[in-house]
Amino acid sequence: MIIFLQIVVIIVALSIIATVLVGKQTHAARAWKKIALCILALCMVVAVIFPDLTNMVANLLGVGRGADLLLYVLTIAFIGYAINNYLHRQHDEHVVHKLARRIALNEAENKYKI
Amino acid sequence: MKKTINSETAIVIPVYNEDKVIGGVIKSVMKEFKYVICVNDGSSDQSSVEISKTGAYLVEHPINMGQGAALQTGIEFARKLPVKYFVTFDADGQHRLEDVRLMLRTIAKENRDIVLGSRFLGDTIGMTKSKRRILKLATTFSNVTSGLKLTDTHNGLRVFNRRFAESLQLKVSDMAHASEILEVIAVGKYDYTEVPVTIEYTDYSKAKGQSIINAINIGFDTLLRRISR
Repeated sequence: MIIFLQIVVIIVALSIIATVLVGKQTHAARAWKKIALCILALCMVVAVIFPDLTNMVANLLGVGRGADLLLYVLTIAFIGYAINNYLHRQHDEHVVHKLARRIALNEAENKYKI
Repeated sequence: MKKTINSETAIVIPVYNEDKVIGGVIKSVMKEFKYVICVNDGSSDQSSVEISKTGAYLVEHPINMGQGAALQTGIEFARKLPVKYFVTFDADGQHRLEDVRLMLRTIAKENRDIVLGSRFLGDTIGMTKSKRRILKLATTFSNVTSGLKLTDTHNGLRVFNRRFAESLQLKVSDMAHASEILEVIAVGKYDYTEVPVTIEYTDYSKAKGQSIINAINIGFDTLLRRISR
């Protein structure tokens, strides 16, 4: 049972990363990211109020202590965030480069009259 | 025959902080080619001034954007010129004009879309063992990700026709553009071949060349591009 749950946890973690990587930047995707963030924050609040709850959930999932579970959740959240950020930055960079190229080409075409 | 090909060819040279050598490189290229396009990629040295002294076209990036971006800009400028063939050429003087001649003869005679230079079919003067090993590894990696069969996937010397130039839309701005060009060849099913070329690794080009560890960045970006979007 515990092994089964561990496998489920790993699959969920990997699919989160895959979603960030492959997912298109639709309105829905952005909305889901916000919802996920809110759920994470809510879970933190609940975990602070009921410290034993994280332990219970962790035992249920077979990942040991509640602190461990938090660490794993945070790790996945961080990796997802980092990849998401990296892709965004690349996209922004690409836009800036296109703009800069347009300027460079306009300038050169005026100069050489072509 | 040779003369007509050369006058229908654009040489695109991305330039980033090469003021010590760029003047000489352009001069030697311009002895044979009419259309030489230098893209100054936001150099902080006197590259721009040195290029202006020659008769080459100078396109100035307002900011530094990387070699891939500079190539794309140069190719887009060259498309407006009355040329049939496009050559990508390094600014640091490690490429030889006789190799360009051979590649141009090949593309015209065999009617290819793109001809790529290969160091491993030709000679490498002064290449370090570690660089050779990394390049072999990069070649294996790129052949796997692109599905092409090449002996040297990261050579800056390429000759291609207008059809290929018109379709080229490089998104990768940095050194990973070499892999991206291969993907364009694979996806568009362009007719390609390799020609042996000699690269001269001088102390200057070695000092300027990309460090081996950058292969990690290139590999990461290439894989990320494959799986994302």
